[in-house]
This record gives sequence, structure tokens and C-alpha cells, in this order.
Amino acid sequence: MDNLGIPHVRNADARAWMKKETAAQKKRYQLIVKEQDDLSPKRDKWIADFLQRIQTRGFNVDADMLRVIKPEEIPTKPKRKFKVVF
Amino acid sequence: MARPHIEPFVERNEDFKKLSMSGFGKGMHYKMLSFDTDTGACTMKVRFDSGYKRPPGFSYSEVEMFLLKGTLKYGDTTYQEGHYFLIPPGVSMPAMSSSRGCEVLLMYNGSEPNFVETDVDHDYADRSRLAEVNSYQGMPWMAPAVNPPRTATGCLLKILKYDERTHAMSFLYILSPEFWQDNISYHDCAEESYHIWGSSWMMQFGDLPTGGYFWRPPYINHGAFACKRGTIAFGRTDSELFNHFHFNPWSNAKENEERSASRLMHRNPEIYNWIAQRGHNHPHPQDFEYPDDHGHSHDHDHDHGKKK
Repeated sequence: MDNLGIPHVRNADARAWMKKETAAQKKRYQLIVKEQDDLSPKRDKWIADFLQRIQTRGFNVDADMLRVIKPEEIPTKPKRKFKVVF
Repeated sequence: MARPHIEPFVERNEDFKKLSMSGFGKGMHYKMLSFDTDTGACTMKVRFDSGYKRPPGFSYSEVEMFLLKGTLKYGDTTYQEGHYFLIPPGVSMPAMSSSRGCEVLLMYNGSEPNFVETDVDHDYADRSRLAEVNSYQGMPWMAPAVNPPRTATGCLLKILKYDERTHAMSFLYILSPEFWQDNISYHDCAEESYHIWGSSWMMQFGDLPTGGYFWRPPYINHGAFACKRGTIAFGRTDSELFNHFHFNPWSNAKENEERSASRLMHRNPEIYNWIAQRGHNHPHPQDFEYPDDHGHSHDHDHDHGKKK
């Protein structure tokens, strides 16, 4: 036995509940992915602002210690599809 | 699969559902926040109606509970908002009731919710792990990490559960008004949070308001961060929380995982070498920030697994 649970037999009630919750979560996940895809234009602007700030005010290396990032250090966006929900 | 990436999710937009599984009685309603489709482990926001009662009993799962609103009783003791319980599997709790109703975060960590009516512990129960504390009263706020890299000033926490084997934690945390942190973070652990009050912002996901929730698997970018008016939240990790900071908004989970292994190789070379070189089946993780840095030298001839 690990810290998280004691082996037991799952009854029919519980099996049916899990089936229902699995389906509900799948829907919830798909909705989240869509909402996040729809947020892309705003996110692109936030990223551009962030990359600008770390070249002026700085990047938080540790706690409040900031390092100004040089232009040549700024990464370029890859061609692949960009996603934030995995 | 285990729990998928649920981020962001705002439970205030959802209705409560009746929990009709056997053993829980009438008057228990829930909103599912995240759910492990293999084990049934889950995190729910639960509402117990006025007059809810449950006899003494245990769950086969470890249970964590955080009292968000209202009061509830175990036996003769009444608990207030902010109270946290860690109930090990098989530990029988006294009769539970809520005369005026309450809302809790309820986490079943090992299996689907279940309840066995009894006033006796299961043979495998470890009662010494039973813990409860009022997190709003009598606990000081502390800085979240001693070892760098640390979060910026203005993020404070109270540790409610710490597993000495896995370093998993449950904690209450706050972000102060005008908090900001300009880096992108990921961790080697899964991370979970529920906003009790307040709104904060992350560059990937936008605003997370009161009632906002996420379950985030390891290696997923989050941040930069900002919080205008302050936030108080309940959080958990499933193993050690180490901050991997960087500024590449487009790195993916696989690249972040590789980078973690590469950083471990540099940060803890002795243990890395011991793990990696056993049986000479050692990986050569790539760090996207240092693509040409192999990390160590050796005198044998083999394929490093790089793409040709």
C-alpha cells in the first residue's frame, strides 16, 4: 500500500460515476483548448510585450534579481503550431 | 491517462451536481475540477447543504479537505473557514455534520470518492499521519523557497502538508497587490491551484479570477506573472517543486523536460552520473538554451541520440 490509498473493489455505482466523469472531463478539456486557441491574438501581444520588458527592465533570474536580456538572446518563434494546453 | 491539463477552469460558471454515490447520504453536491480517469482520484468543490449529516467512517483513499465557507463538525468539534484536514486512507473519522451548510475543496488522492461506515480504522490505516490545522489563524506566512531560483517578493505561503518521501506539498499562498514576475516557469512536478479570492494573470492563460482553478502536469510553461489587487489561493504539488525559469515563450513540454534533465546534469552532476550511467544506458538530454553543450566528456564510441 502507498500513502494514497488502500486497494479495494470498485462497485458498479463507482464505475458508472467514473465513466460519466471521464466523458464530462473530455468535454471540459476540449472547451478549454478552444478558449485558449481563441486567446492567441491577445497572447501574441502579451508575449511581444514580455520580450520587450526583459530587454529593458529585465528578466527575473532569481527572486527580484533582474538581468537585462540582449537582443541576440531573444528566441525566435518556431514554425510549428504554438499551443499552451498540453 | 492520468489527469489531463485543465487550465484555466473557472468553477463559478458551473452548476453543482448531486453526488449520489452510495455512502455519502443526501445533501452533498459537487463541481468536478479535475479527475484522474484511471484511478478516480479527483479534486472537487463540494457544497454540503444545511443539516447535512454523515456517520463515522473512512475512505480507502487519502483525503484532503479545505473549508472554504461556513462551518462543519467532526464529532463535537466545530471547524471554521480556512481549516485544512489530511485524512490518511482507512482512518475512521467521527460523525460529520454541517448545521448551516458549508463549501469545501475535497481531494481524493488515491481513488474515486468512497465511504465506509464504521467507527474502527482499517487494518492498513496509519493514524499517525492524520493532521488538521486552521490555516487562516496561527500560522505565519513564509517565503516559498530557500534555494534559488526563487519567486519574486510578494509571493508567500503556508505549508499545510509535506510528504517527506515525495516532497509533495499542499499549501495556502498569497500574491500581494502589484505582484509581478517577468520570467517563464515550469516544474518537474504537477501543480494545482484554486483561487479562494482574487485574480492573477499569466502570459499563456490570461486572468484567473476568484473560483479559478488549474491542474497543470509537469513541464508546462506558465508566466510571466502579474497580480493587480492580491490573491489568496490553495495549491498542491505531487512531488518536489523546483523553479525552472527561462524566457522562451515557445518551448514545449518535451523541450522543457529535456532542459530539466540537462540542468540536473549541471546542478547535481554526481547523482546525475550515478543514475544515468548505470548499465551504460545513459541519456544525453538537450538543453534548448545550450544546444552544443554536451555536459560531460567520455572515451567511448556510441551514438548520442542526436538527430542526424
